[in-house]
Amino acid sequence: MSERFYDDVATAEQPGEKTFLDSSELVLNMGPQHPSTHGVLRVILKLDGEKVIGSECVIGYLHRGVEKIAENRTYAQFAPYVDRMDYVAAVSNALGYCEAVEKLLNTEAPPRAQYIRVILTELNRLASHHVWLGTHALDIGALTPLFYTFRDREEILKIYEKYCGARLTTHAFRIGGCIYETYEGFEKEVRDYCDFLLPKIDEYEELLTTNRIWCERTKGVGILNGDDCKALGVTGPVLRASGVKWDLRKAKPYSGYDKFEFEIPTGKNGDTYDRYLVRIEEMRQSVKIIRQAVDGLPEGPIMAKIPKVLKPPVGEVYHSIEAPKGELGYFIVSDGSTQPYRVRVRPPSFVNLQALDKMIKGQLVADVVAVIGTLDIVLGEVDR
Amino acid sequence: MGGVAVSLAPVLRKIFLVDLIKGMSVTFRYQDPKELQTEQYPMERPVIAERYRGQPRLGVNPDTGETLCIACDLCALACPEKLITIKSERNPVTKRKEVKSWTYDLSRCMFCGLCEDACPSDALELTQDYEMALYSREGMLLDQKMLERGQTPKVYTK
Amino acid sequence: MRALTDYLHMNVTPGEAGNYLWATIYILVIFALVSVAVMLMTWLERKVMAHMQVRLGPMRVGPHGLLQPIADALKLILKEDIVPAGADKVVFWLAPVSVMMIAFTTYLVIPFGRTHAVTDMNIGILFMLGVSSLGVLGIIMAGWSSNSHYPLMGSLRSSAQMVSYEIAMGLTIVSAVLMTSLQNGTGTLSMIGIVESQFAQKTWFVFSGWGLGFIAFVIFAIAMIAETNRAPFDLPEAESELVAGFHTEYSGFRWSLFFLAEYTAMIAVSSIAVTLWLGGWLRPFPNALSSGTWDLVFSLIPGVVFLVIGVVCLWMSMRMPSILKFQKMGFGAFAALIVVIGLVMLLPGVRTRVQDIFWFAAKVTLFMYLYIWYRATFPRYRFDQLMKIGWKVLLPTSLGVLIMTALWGVLR
Repeated sequence: MSERFYDDVATAEQPGEKTFLDSSELVLNMGPQHPSTHGVLRVILKLDGEKVIGSECVIGYLHRGVEKIAENRTYAQFAPYVDRMDYVAAVSNALGYCEAVEKLLNTEAPPRAQYIRVILTELNRLASHHVWLGTHALDIGALTPLFYTFRDREEILKIYEKYCGARLTTHAFRIGGCIYETYEGFEKEVRDYCDFLLPKIDEYEELLTTNRIWCERTKGVGILNGDDCKALGVTGPVLRASGVKWDLRKAKPYSGYDKFEFEIPTGKNGDTYDRYLVRIEEMRQSVKIIRQAVDGLPEGPIMAKIPKVLKPPVGEVYHSIEAPKGELGYFIVSDGSTQPYRVRVRPPSFVNLQALDKMIKGQLVADVVAVIGTLDIVLGEVDR
Repeated sequence: MGGVAVSLAPVLRKIFLVDLIKGMSVTFRYQDPKELQTEQYPMERPVIAERYRGQPRLGVNPDTGETLCIACDLCALACPEKLITIKSERNPVTKRKEVKSWTYDLSRCMFCGLCEDACPSDALELTQDYEMALYSREGMLLDQKMLERGQTPKVYTK
Repeated sequence: MRALTDYLHMNVTPGEAGNYLWATIYILVIFALVSVAVMLMTWLERKVMAHMQVRLGPMRVGPHGLLQPIADALKLILKEDIVPAGADKVVFWLAPVSVMMIAFTTYLVIPFGRTHAVTDMNIGILFMLGVSSLGVLGIIMAGWSSNSHYPLMGSLRSSAQMVSYEIAMGLTIVSAVLMTSLQNGTGTLSMIGIVESQFAQKTWFVFSGWGLGFIAFVIFAIAMIAETNRAPFDLPEAESELVAGFHTEYSGFRWSLFFLAEYTAMIAVSSIAVTLWLGGWLRPFPNALSSGTWDLVFSLIPGVVFLVIGVVCLWMSMRMPSILKFQKMGFGAFAALIVVIGLVMLLPGVRTRVQDIFWFAAKVTLFMYLYIWYRATFPRYRFDQLMKIGWKVLLPTSLGVLIMTALWGVLR
C-alpha cells in the first residue's frame, strides 16, 4: 500500500530521464528508531525542499495482540494487560476497563472507592502530562524541563508504589471497586504533593511560556481547527485547544466526577502553543480536583458485592472515560461466560495520530517533531 | 503618558531579553546541591514500599518449618499467564492435600499480584526484592526450595 | 642557550622579538594547554549541565568524574574507523584535520598576557576573523565527502548559518576597533594594542560609549554562539531532528577531532570577546586601584584561588567513603597538586608573570559557563528563524551600533 506513495517520485531508468536529485520531491523516512517519535512510529514524509507536502504513518511495530489476549482471559485476569497499553498513564486504563465491566454487570463501585479512584486517576493525569511536557520540550531542544518534570513525577510514582505496589503498571483497581485500602498517611502525602506541585508548574511556565524561542517554535505550528477535529474524531486536549469545549468528565460524568468543581481549559487557535497552555492549565485543575476529593473522602466499603466468578449477562457495553490523552473507550461484548467474547479498545492516541497528516501539511521538517510531541501519542496505545 | 509606558513595557522586555533571563535564573537556582535528585545506586538503595510486588516467596511456618501452602490451586487459577504449576497429593492420614512440587516461572511473570491476592493462607507473597537479574534463563524457573529460601544474591566487594 | 635566556629579559612577545625558539615553545605550550582545556571543558559541560538538571553527572570514572574525558578519549581512539563506501577518501580524511588545524591557528595571536602571545601581528583581529571563516570550508568538505544527502544538507545549513553570523560579528568587531582610536587618533587592529588602549582609556570597552560598547558586546556574544553551532542555534547538529549534521558519517577518532575543534573554536571566539570588550588580561580596576598594595593584593589572588580550590578538594577527598580507596587517594593527590601549584603561584617571581594569564583564563571560563548555561536552558531555533535573526535582527543592529560608535567618537 505504501508503494503507491513512492510512485510519483521519479527514478532514473534511461539516460536523459530526471533522477531523484532533479525531482523537486524527496521522500524521507523518519524511521521506527528515532529519538523523537515517542516509541516505534514510522512516518514517511514527502518533502519539497524543507516543506512537507504529504505524510504517511506506518504503525504496528508495537502490536502485541492485547485485544486477542482478552478473548482468552477472564475479566479479572485481563485487568493487568490493560495497564500495558498506555503505559505512561496506567491507572486511567484500569479505570476505564473496570467501569466498563461494572456497567456490564449493572453495579457501581461504592462512594469511597469512587473517590479513591478519582484521586489516583487525577494523579495519573498529572503524571502523564509531566511526561508529555518533558519529552515535548526535549524534542524542541530544551533539555532541562525533562528532568524537572520527571523529578516531580517521582513523587506521584512513590504514592502509587505505597498504595498498590508498583510504580508504572499499577493494577490498582479491581472490578467492583478497589482492593487496597488507602495506606497510613495517604491523605497527608497527597495533600503535600498538591502543595509541592503548584509552584513547580509556575516554574515550568517561567522556563517556557514566555520564552521567545519557545513561542516562535510553537505558535502557528500544527494548526487544527475545531471542525477538522470533530471530523477526524480527535479528542482530549487537542480538541479542547481548538476551541471545542468537550470533556467527558463534565459531559458524561463517571465515577463521581459530577461532585467536583473544576473548569475545562480551552484554547483559541488550535496550534501547538495553545495545546501546551491547555495541558498546563489541566494540570492545575487536576490539583484542584485532587484537593476536593481528599477533603471529601467518605468512609465505607471499598468493594461492591459481586460474585467471585464473574459471569456477566449476555450483552455489550461501550464505556469511555477522559484519559489524559483523550477519550479512551472500551467496547466489551459478553457471551455469558467467564471470558469476554470481544474487547475492543478505542485508544485516543490512535485516533489523534490520524490528524498528523493534516497538521503537518505545509509545515517545515523541523516542525514534524514538534507536532508529534504535541499530539502526545504513546505507541503502546496506538498499536495495542 | 501612562498608556505609552504600558505599551512600551513589552517592547522593553523584548529588547532586554527579559524572558530569556528569567528562564536562565530558574536553571541557575537548581544548581543548589540540596536539589540533587540522583541516587547513586549501588551505594544508596531506594526505600521500597511495603506493598511492593517483587520477587515471590513461599512462606514457611516459623515454628515448625513446614510450608504454609495448602495446595488449593487458587493461585494457579488466578494467574493470567498460567505460570504456576502445583502438583499435590492427598495425605491419607491427615486427609489434607500436600504439595509435591510447586513451580513458578519468573520469566513470564508480570507481577500483577493476582496470585498474592488469591492465596487464602498467606503462603504466597510478593516481597520487596527487585534485584532479580540472572545470567541464565533456567534460573527463572523457581521451584519450591528456591521460593522458600528467597534470593541469594552474590555479594561483590564494591 | 643565549636565545633562551635573552628572551626572558625582554617584555615583548617572541614573535616581535624574532625569537623562533621561544615562539616554538609557546606554540607547543598553547597546543598542549588548549587540548587539556578542551578536555576539561567536556567534563565541565557534563557536570554543570547535570547540576542544572538536578542530577550529578559522571561520578564513577574518577572522583567526581574527573577521569571521564580520558575514558571518552580512549574509547574514541579505539573505535573502528568506518569510511563510507562511496566517500571521497582524500577529502574525507582532510575535513576533520583541516577544521582542527584552522581552529588552532587562531591561537597564534590570542594574547594571554602582555608578553604571553606567540606573536603580535598588527592585523591581529583581522587575522583571527579571516582564519575562523576558513572553518566553514572544512565543514563543507565534511558534508560533501560523506556521499550521503543527510550530511550534505546538514553541512550546507551549518555553513550558511556560520557565514551569516560572521557578518554581524565582523561589524561589531569594527565598532570595537573604532573605540581604540579614541585616545590617540589612530586605532589599531592588533590584539595587544586593543587591550593596551583599554588600559590607556581607563575603561573596558564593554562599559564605554554610553552603552554602545555593551550592545556591541551582546551582539557579538549572540553571534559567537551561532558561529560555533551551539544551543540555541544548534539545529545542524541536533540529535532529535531529521538531518543529523555534517559529522554523521564520521566515527571514532575523526569525530572526536570535530568535537574538539568545536570546543577549541568556542574558546577562540570567547577569547576575541574577552580581548575586545572585557579588557583581555587586565585585572579588575588596573587604573583606579593602582597603588602598590592593590597591585600586591590582586597579584596574590590567583595563588589564593588555587590554594582554596586545593584545600576544598582535599577536604572533600577526606570525606569520601572508604570503600572507594583508590578514588580517594587519587583525588587527594590531585588536590595536593593543586595546593602545590597555588603555593608556587604565590612566589613573587612567578606571580607577576602568571596573573595576566589567570585573569584572562578566568574571563574565558566565565564565557564557557555561559555557553553551558544557555545549552541547559533554551530550546532550539528552527533554521529559518535562525537565519531571520542573523540577517534581520543582528545585522541592522550591529550596523546601527557601528554608526553610532563612529558618531560618538567624532563628537567626543
